Parts: sequence; C-alpha cells; structure tokens
Amino acid sequence: MSQLKVILQFSGGAELLFDKIKKREVELPVLEKYLPQINKSEWSIRELLVWMKDNLLKERPELFLQGDSVRPGILVLINDSDWELYGELDYKIQNGDAIMFISTLHGG
Amino acid sequence: MDRVTVLEEEIANLRMILQQKEAELYELKKECIRESHAQLGSTNHTTPELNNLLKTHCSARLPKWAIVRYSRQILLPDIGVKGQEKLCSARVLVVGAGGLGCPAAVYLAGAGVGDIGIVDYDDVEITNIHRQILHSERDECMSKAESAAHKLRSINSHIKVTPYNVQLDSSNAVDIASGYDVVLDCTDNVPTRYLLNDLCVMTGLPLISGSALKMEGQLTIYGYRADRNCNEKNASYRGPCYRCIFPTPPPPQAVGSCSANGVAGPVPGVIGTLQALEAIKMIVGLTHEKMLIERMLLFDGEDMTFKIVNLRGQNQQCAVCSQTPSITRLIDYEAFCKSQAKEKPITLPVTERRRVEKQKRMTGKSYYGFRKTDRDKRAWVQDVPKSERKIGPPCSSDLCQKGTARHCNEFDEEARKEMFRHFWHDLDWKGKRDYVKTLVDVVPPKRRRKKDAISRKGDSKLYHLRNKGERLLVCRLMFLNTLGLKEAMLRSWLTCTDKPRSPKKPLKSLNVDSYIDALPVCPPKCEICRNSCVQIRYLNLSHVKNIYQLYVEYMKEMKSRNISPASRKTFCKVVSLRNLRVFKPKNENDVCDLVSQHNAIPSYSYQNVDIGKEGLNHDMPTEYFYGEDQLLL
Repeated sequence: MSQLKVILQFSGGAELLFDKIKKREVELPVLEKYLPQINKSEWSIRELLVWMKDNLLKERPELFLQGDSVRPGILVLINDSDWELYGELDYKIQNGDAIMFISTLHGG
Repeated sequence: MDRVTVLEEEIANLRMILQQKEAELYELKKECIRESHAQLGSTNHTTPELNNLLKTHCSARLPKWAIVRYSRQILLPDIGVKGQEKLCSARVLVVGAGGLGCPAAVYLAGAGVGDIGIVDYDDVEITNIHRQILHSERDECMSKAESAAHKLRSINSHIKVTPYNVQLDSSNAVDIASGYDVVLDCTDNVPTRYLLNDLCVMTGLPLISGSALKMEGQLTIYGYRADRNCNEKNASYRGPCYRCIFPTPPPPQAVGSCSANGVAGPVPGVIGTLQALEAIKMIVGLTHEKMLIERMLLFDGEDMTFKIVNLRGQNQQCAVCSQTPSITRLIDYEAFCKSQAKEKPITLPVTERRRVEKQKRMTGKSYYGFRKTDRDKRAWVQDVPKSERKIGPPCSSDLCQKGTARHCNEFDEEARKEMFRHFWHDLDWKGKRDYVKTLVDVVPPKRRRKKDAISRKGDSKLYHLRNKGERLLVCRLMFLNTLGLKEAMLRSWLTCTDKPRSPKKPLKSLNVDSYIDALPVCPPKCEICRNSCVQIRYLNLSHVKNIYQLYVEYMKEMKSRNISPASRKTFCKVVSLRNLRVFKPKNENDVCDLVSQHNAIPSYSYQNVDIGKEGLNHDMPTEYFYGEDQLLL
C-alpha cells in the first residue's frame, strides 16, 4: 500500500486543541498495522479521528469528539466541501486530501 | 479648570437642545418619508406579475434627489435605478447593534435602505467602542439600539430607523420580524442564533448570518427561498438553514465570546460590511449562485486569508425547514442550547436564589437547576436552564380511539388547558401530589405463578382524568401530556408516603459544648500573651497533658453517661473555635506554648521586649497552631 499523506487544517478555535497549529501535513501509517482489530485496509474519516485523538489531540478530547464523530458545532470539510457531500465518516481518504475542521464562531 | 467645567456644562446644554430639535425635525420628516414611500410603492413584496408591470415605468418613481444621492451605486449594472427603488422600499432587520450590526447598519443606511430596524437589549459600554463604530464615548450607558438609530438618522435622514430596545425571544420575535424582508444575524450567542433561524424559516425571510471572534470571521446566508425572487429561474430552490448544517447546538463550554476571548475591532467590521453587501445584493434581486448560499466565507485576519467552502444543501429531514418539520413554533432556546442568551447578573444570595428557583420549579416556570462543577465534583452550581412546564399534544393513538375502555377522545382542548392551568397554578406542591394520587390507580399483578414468590412484574397503573367531575380512564401519554408531567416525577409521587420525616439526631458538637463549659479555665501563664490582646484561654486541668488526653477523658465521660460521643475531629474543632488550649509546662521556665522566645526571656525583663512582631503571631487563629509540637515562628 502506498503512503497516504493528508493535509489537516483547523480554524475557528479548533486549532487551540491541536497545539495552535492551523495547518499540518501528516502521513498516516498503514491501517492494518495501526488498527489491526477492525480488519480494514483503507483509511476513512472514522479511523482518521481515532488516529488524531491518539496522536495529535493534546487536551480535552470532549471539545473535539463526541462518540465516534466530531462534536456538534464543528464543520468537517473535505477539499473545501462539506463532508456530508462525501458520505461523512465513511469517506475513503485519498492521498493528498485536505481535511479541514472548523469550529463555528458565535461572537458578534 | 473653571473654564473647562463651564465649557463642559455649556456643551452638554447645547447638545440637549440639539437633540430636541433633531427629534422634532425627525418627526416632521417622517411624514415626508411616508409620502415618498407611498409614491414608490412596495415593489419588493408584490407578486412577480405586478413587478413586471411596474418595470416599464418604474424609473419615474425615484425622486431626483435620490438619483443624485445614490448615483454612485446606481451606476452599477447590478443595482441600477430599479435596484435603487427596491433598496428604497426595502425593510431590513438588524439583530444586534454590536461589532457586526454597526458596520452593517451604516452601509445599509448609506445605501438608502428604506426601513431599518435595530434590535439590541444592551447598553453601550466603554469596552464595546473599539469595534462597535456607531457608538462613541458620549453614548456610554445609553441603549445600543437608541444610540445606533440616532447615528443612522444622522447618516441618512431620508430613511426610517426603528430601534427595538428589547431582548429578542420566542414571545416577541414574530411580531418584530413581521414588518421586514431581510434579517441580519449580528448576535453574539447560540440561543439567539437558533431563535433567528427558526423565526426566519417560519416566516420565509432570508437570514444573513455573520460571526466574528478573535481574528476570525464567518459569513453565510441561511433559509434562502428562490420563490421570493422573481429573477430566479428555478423557483423551487431553497438554501440550507442553520439547523440543516448544525442540527444540535454545541456544548456551552466550547462557545467563545468577545468578552472572554477577545476580538480585533476590524474583524467584525469586515464581516459586518460583507453582511451589508449580501443584504444589498439580496434586495436588488441577484440570484442565489452569486450569493453566499450553500457556501461559507471564512476570514482569517491572522494570515489574511479569505476562504470559501461549500456547505451541504437543504436537509430533507431538517427539524424546521423540511416539508414535515417537527418544530413548528418558537421554542425555549436557552434551554435547547443549555446556555444563556444574555448574561444575567445574579445578585441574590445563594440561599435566597435557591428558594426563588425552587418556587419557580414548583409552579411550573422555567428555572435554573443544579449541576456539579467540572473541577470539584462535590461542589454544586445552579446554572442549568430548565424549560417551563408545557401542555403536551393530546392522545392520537388509534387503539384509544377504537376501544371503549379509554376515553382519551372525550376531552377537548379547552378542558385540557383548564386542567393544566389548575394543576400548575392553583395547587401547591402537596396538592399536586394528592391530585395525581387520586387520579392514578395502582393495581398489583393479578396472578402470581407461585404463592409468595417474588415476581418481577410491577404494579399496573390506571390513569384517569376528570371531565365535568367524572373520573374517566385515559392512556398514560394523555395523562402525562395533559398535566405536563414526566414519568419519573409521577412515579416518585406515587411511591412517596406522607410519613413525617424522622427527627434529626441532635448535633454531637452540642454535648462537646456542654462538656467543655464545665471545665475550669484560666488565662495564659505567659505575661506577654496575657498583656497583648490574645483571646486564648487555657483549660486548667492538672492531669491532662494535651488535647488527645482531654478527648479520652471526654470519651470516658460520655460512655458513662451513655451518650454517643463526637469524633475527635469535631471535638478538636469545637475546642479550637472557642480559643481554648491545653498546655502542661515541662519546667519552671516553660511559660508559653505559642511563642518559644517568650520562654527564653527571664520574667523581670518582660517590659523591655518589643512584642510588635511576635504579637502578629498571636493574632493567628489558634487552630493554625493546633496539633503542632514545634512552635511556629
């Protein structure tokens, strides 16, 4: 399996949970080795969130995750489009995808 | 300095006269505006056919001053004379006169939008002025809506500006919004955003929603309907609403605010200005591809990037904007979002507040409930908003309709409402409980498989409601909905008995008190301590060396009198609170157990000692010293 590189972007305050880094390029490990118990070979957003929680999320995971999805109020965008258009958690991540997590703002 | 005060007073007086005259002028001009409005006709909210008819001779309806005044924007092909006419007869509601609302309203007023409404409950604070450009130092403590309206009138005297100095909520929102064509969401909290969204979906108005925090801003349009725009080719198109994209509100701890997280002044300025632009485009009738519909603008001032992302379309299962909505009227949004729309100052003392909230709870009003704090699991705070009691829908079950046993369909709405009102307004808490108990029959299981065997089958409950004095059997849902109760409450009422509570056990510290009172007490032996104003007294017992021995004595005495003794902790606490100590000197020189230096001083030189510094130590509470073998200094 070829390497899988994705660009993760955070904005609207979501970056505060990830060391205040707004944009980072990450390389995902081979899924069979990382999560052997789920018997899958392709990364989807569901597994990406688990990986992010284990590797990137520094504090207060409840402000980012809820159950196996993101918490209400965070928009997930895959290549600048709402993840709903791609099948949400089941979207198969492609090499070079830009995945963006936006916390909605409410100030005014 | 005198000259300064004189001038300040003079200016204040002149300002007052100016305000009066301005108000007078505004009243006079109002008449003129009404006339010009009648002239223009309401092109924006008539049928498309009438619009087409008007198109041919519309240009004659714009007065000459207006053509001159708005000439720079009329030159634009997207606006033109017809667009300007639409602007002049448009009615826009700006909710929030803060960082977003101020710049948005300025440009709308400048563009000649005929009727601008401004809603804000708040007063101007000095911390607002860096971003809320309609307010100035002079307006501090003035209502934001009034202050903004005043400035807008000075920008454009040809338009009508209506300030609403109220907090927008479910009760007044429909009335306020009914007179407007476009709504700008410039609010700063989640409940009001959901309220505005539901309001706009229900009334069919487009909602231009902006937000800004720290260095970032977001902008999009919700609830757009193509059938209100005659330029749209596909009249059935509908954009997503706020709930389509965010069906559930975010957890309150994840929501930031300008007062807590800060904001750079120009950021809401940018977003508010763009909101005004989208409103102008919406009014002149541009199609949805050209506006931020199904798209969101993200502005990041930190690295100066604008980004457009594609949002999902309208959700066919949306709770409010789908064909079969589950929310058809405005709800209690503070309870829905579990956060407050407005920071309410809590001035009542804790016990008084608890009593007030309990009273609200017992009369079916919305109240604040308790929660454990995140940090200390044992500490409680009372800030969880709970919604008021509401009458639920009547029973719609087919089984109840067909059968003859239950009488759910014999109750009309009026009777149910009266029952609900009587239950929550006339009865006290015990009355409510008794009322429910008389209406619910608890029937034990009819048959046991084995005699005396413990069955898992619980009691059946038969629910009744009164109709003209008659007690009629109804289903559980009908009963609970009519009285606005939940099942858990009902069960706890049914199981509770009227047995009086067992009297509280007497406080054990009381017998410690009486025990200590009986002991002999003497002043400190140390002269320095006695002369300084230390309130400590010593228990004068020859056979007791320390407080632990005293406690053993106390235990013995209590046992002999057959009274349950207090714990050693309680005992020590009571003793130290009464400023009592036990001290058994080891030798002749050992006179003070508080300050060791006092012992080193021969008794004849007491007067020469500067006790200033040591004296401080004497003021310390005795429990601070308590239990320390080593003396503190």
